[in-house]
Amino acid sequence: MNEIQLATFYIGDVLLGIDIDLVKEICRPMDMTCVPHTPPCVRGVINLRGEVVTLLDLRRILGLPEQFNMDVQRNLIVNFSGEHVGFCVDAISDILTLDGKKVEHAPANINGMEGRFFRGVYPLPEEIVLVLNLDEILDATMV
Amino acid sequence: MSFDNSELLNDFVIEANEHLAEIENQLLEIEANGANVNVDLVNTVFRAIHSIKGAAGFLGLSAIGSLSHSLENVLNLIRAEELTPTAGIVDVMLKSADQLSSLVEDVNGSNDIDVSVLSSRLDLIADNLGLPGDAGAETAAAEDPEVEAAEKIVEQIADIQPTVDSASTPAAEAAPAEEEAEDEMDRQIRLAFEARDREMAEQRASQTESGATTKPPKSSSPAATAVAKPEPKTEPVKAEPKQQVESSIRVAVSVLDQLMNLAGELVLARNQLLQTVNGSAKNVADKTGRNSGIEAVTASIDQVTSELQEAIMQTRMQPIGTVFNRFPRVVRDLSSKLQKQIDLQMEGVEVEVDKTIVEAIGDPLTHLVRNSVDHGVETPGVRESRGKNPTGKICLRAYHQAGKVRIDIEDDGGGIDPDIIRVKALEKGVISEDQMDRITDRDAVRLIFHPGFSTAAKVTDISGRGVGMDVVKTNIEKLGGTVDVESVVGVGTTIRVTLPLTLAIVPSLIVESGGDRYAIPQSSIVELVRVRTSEFNEKIGRVKNAEVLRLRGNLLPLVRLSDALNLDETRRKSKLKKPKTELLTNSDGGPEDGQTEAANVPRAINIVVVEATQFRYGLVVDALHESEEIVVKPLGTHLREIQSLAGATILGDGHIALILDVGGIASHRELTTIAEEARNESAQNQQKEQHESDKQLALLFSNHPTEQFAIPMSVITRIERTTLEDIDDIGGDLLMRYRGGSLPLLALSRLVNCKPPVEQSSLYVVVFEVNGIEIGLIAPELSDIRELSCKIDSMVTETAGVMGTFVLDNQTTRYLNLYDLAEKAHPNWFIEQREDVELSPSEFKLLLVEDSSFFRRQVKKFIKSEGFQIVEAEDGVDGWNKLNEANGSISLVVSDIEMPNMNGFELCSRMREDNRFNKLPVIALTSLSDPADVERGRVVGFNDYQVKMDKASLISSIHNLLKISQQQAVHA
Repeated sequence: MNEIQLATFYIGDVLLGIDIDLVKEICRPMDMTCVPHTPPCVRGVINLRGEVVTLLDLRRILGLPEQFNMDVQRNLIVNFSGEHVGFCVDAISDILTLDGKKVEHAPANINGMEGRFFRGVYPLPEEIVLVLNLDEILDATMV
Repeated sequence: MSFDNSELLNDFVIEANEHLAEIENQLLEIEANGANVNVDLVNTVFRAIHSIKGAAGFLGLSAIGSLSHSLENVLNLIRAEELTPTAGIVDVMLKSADQLSSLVEDVNGSNDIDVSVLSSRLDLIADNLGLPGDAGAETAAAEDPEVEAAEKIVEQIADIQPTVDSASTPAAEAAPAEEEAEDEMDRQIRLAFEARDREMAEQRASQTESGATTKPPKSSSPAATAVAKPEPKTEPVKAEPKQQVESSIRVAVSVLDQLMNLAGELVLARNQLLQTVNGSAKNVADKTGRNSGIEAVTASIDQVTSELQEAIMQTRMQPIGTVFNRFPRVVRDLSSKLQKQIDLQMEGVEVEVDKTIVEAIGDPLTHLVRNSVDHGVETPGVRESRGKNPTGKICLRAYHQAGKVRIDIEDDGGGIDPDIIRVKALEKGVISEDQMDRITDRDAVRLIFHPGFSTAAKVTDISGRGVGMDVVKTNIEKLGGTVDVESVVGVGTTIRVTLPLTLAIVPSLIVESGGDRYAIPQSSIVELVRVRTSEFNEKIGRVKNAEVLRLRGNLLPLVRLSDALNLDETRRKSKLKKPKTELLTNSDGGPEDGQTEAANVPRAINIVVVEATQFRYGLVVDALHESEEIVVKPLGTHLREIQSLAGATILGDGHIALILDVGGIASHRELTTIAEEARNESAQNQQKEQHESDKQLALLFSNHPTEQFAIPMSVITRIERTTLEDIDDIGGDLLMRYRGGSLPLLALSRLVNCKPPVEQSSLYVVVFEVNGIEIGLIAPELSDIRELSCKIDSMVTETAGVMGTFVLDNQTTRYLNLYDLAEKAHPNWFIEQREDVELSPSEFKLLLVEDSSFFRRQVKKFIKSEGFQIVEAEDGVDGWNKLNEANGSISLVVSDIEMPNMNGFELCSRMREDNRFNKLPVIALTSLSDPADVERGRVVGFNDYQVKMDKASLISSIHNLLKISQQQAVHA
């Protein structure tokens, strides 16, 4: 079987998914410290039980329109090559178990977002899940 | 090769490393003992090698086995006193030990490494019992076997390396007639492998001369042509053993027990805390007793946690000796290579520092030691011609000082000539011509740490290997340490390295800017300055459109932290509201227009003066918080490249504070040019001011609100705060109850004509020392500590206890002499001292060298009151002339340090170089008591160091020195 499990979440009205094995935890927004001299996609650092974790703004990385309602959001902490990195997302959705074969190749441009950020798209009955390519995303944030 | 039992192999590696770690120094000691063999010591080494051999055999590590077997054989002979360990023999043994270490390090690949070369050399030694020209008879006796062995090895090598070197050069070359045993040994062995018949022939010939050779010189020459050019491969052992980084450390069981206990306690205390908190939540109504419960538990958690922290820290501590241990070998190898004789002394090997520091400090220290050997200590010939002991001395000293570890590397070599450094620095464009003239000797010597400056007169393969002192400095600074150099030409050089005890926990100051808190490591903080609104004009200036802070005659560039960190933008980006409190001195301006701007600024600004690599600058922050010991946490990959930040830490309340990198901020803001400008300007200012008058740091206080007094800081031991209740009036004498004893107090209004203080419950006491007795002066209100550069008028109001008056901030201030005051209040304390005098002072003529007329007059008064004759001089040059004019009638010199034309250091070293004056006692008189200056004074040849206004101790020092020189004269 070629099943994949995705943790899905929303940024604005875009449904995004990420391989669940990469997700460390999901936490409520916590006190964040701003860091000077950083690229716009870095929001700051948070204290995750004694560990200093960098928080990235996925909205900016993907080039989605700014949203000013900061209240309903979660931090999605992922494990990326030994380091924990956080993403601010608007809302957490379900965990989906999908057939990996049905993931379609991502077009070069999805609603203005660069195709390289996605490993593929997966159509659901009512909407589509965009499966994130974490390597590309984190690559793009490095200066 | 693979081993089934990797655990067994690991055990072997650990054990072998433990054995090998000690061997180097043990072998050196064996060498030092020479023929006087310490059997126990040799036995220890023997056993160590023997157990390595045994385990290696068991594990099938043939290379390690065979090398340790050969080494063991040699040790066995030494143990049996059949073989005398000469330098040459020990050299081979050391190299074998190095080889063993590297084999053990890569234990799995060890069998693929060829050890036959070294083991053959060892076998050669063992077979021939101390053959290499130690004694003629022995050499002769061992003649034949030697050649056989040589040939045997040659064959072996030929087997291993079958490439034939057709270009083997047969050209003759005269070997130096007199060779050290070690070189002889080396050559002999080398030629055995290389089969250089030519050299062999020479060797034979030289031995023939010593009357013992039977073999013709050509005996080994046929082999030569058959052998490959083996030089690059025959010596697989690096001259420098790679220092091993231990991945585990041994911890005393007691420490671990303590850790376990404390951790248990912590868990218990936490449980209590939880229970207490839960309980209190349930019984909200029950308000009594709740707080005390929490307080007690919190206190116990606090205590346990700090003890736990200390204990854990302790597990990480290692003696600095683990680093020092490598130096006897380094110095030995280097000095023999350079044909120098150097005696290495090590002190404080037991001083403990954090493991991370032990690991990181090795290379910089090695570099410094090599430098001392290479550039510091002269060759025996040079040393003898300079009248020094041909054997030079290098002293490595580690000790604790002020919560830090200091390591001094001291040599008694030629020292660093500041003039040569000046010229070289100019050549290399490190300094400008203008700077060259202005830079002090001390700073000139410090230029060796400047990037792009190499002290090596010529680049040797020992130092000058592309790694300059600037790299050493950078590496030490990376550890949060500092390095400084002090040198006296002809006497020696001392390099001082200061290191923090640990890297894991950094004492830091928490500051606030733009609503966020930041940590600045204490090690980079020089001082904190608060500039009141009223002082803006006076203290804040501008250099090239940049703000600078005027601090005691220096101009320091100012950086607003909020600007440096771009806080406004950072915040905007994060869509956060600006902090409620508006920044006091807004980030885009500052007090640019002096008064008008200053008027807009509601209160004082806080400046943290920090030390970046090349210069100091002031960091303007919104608020200063407490000092905390912070645990450094790394930042994520996204943030690691940010220059201004050194990491992050989590504060007590769970918030993250970023740790600032003051060097990074400086380079980010391109402060260097501003600092340079500021330095130039302040140097000019200082010159101007120096002409005007001498400077003295003074404590200002008021006795009565309308009357201001000043005391020289240099005589103050400390300042205490006390309350009226703690002061008793006993029969007219005031006493302060203090630390279980009592401290005699002076009240100004009883001694000097002034208004009595206004009654207040809390007051300050300035404590000072007279003839070993501590006395306090009541100073009801302290106002400031200032550097006085104004003129002191000593004529108008001179009375006992008051040295003079000056006007400061439109207020007449009286400058007090604490010793006079003490004498006035307690004359009986001074009588005893006088009776002690055995000399008749009027027979002695003293020279007083002091540029400030004020101090000259004061000190002259002290000395005259004792009955001595006195000659005055205005500066070093004047003093030197007076000394010459006096024709030997001067018995003692009292000299200031900071003087125009020729300073005290220069005067003293000039005297010490002159036969007429080199025995003359010299007392340095100073208003600064920087330990480094005291040390420099000692090196230059001052007999004593005295603080300017400390009359009692100056007089007793004069008496002592005169007595000593009288006694010496009698003996002579």
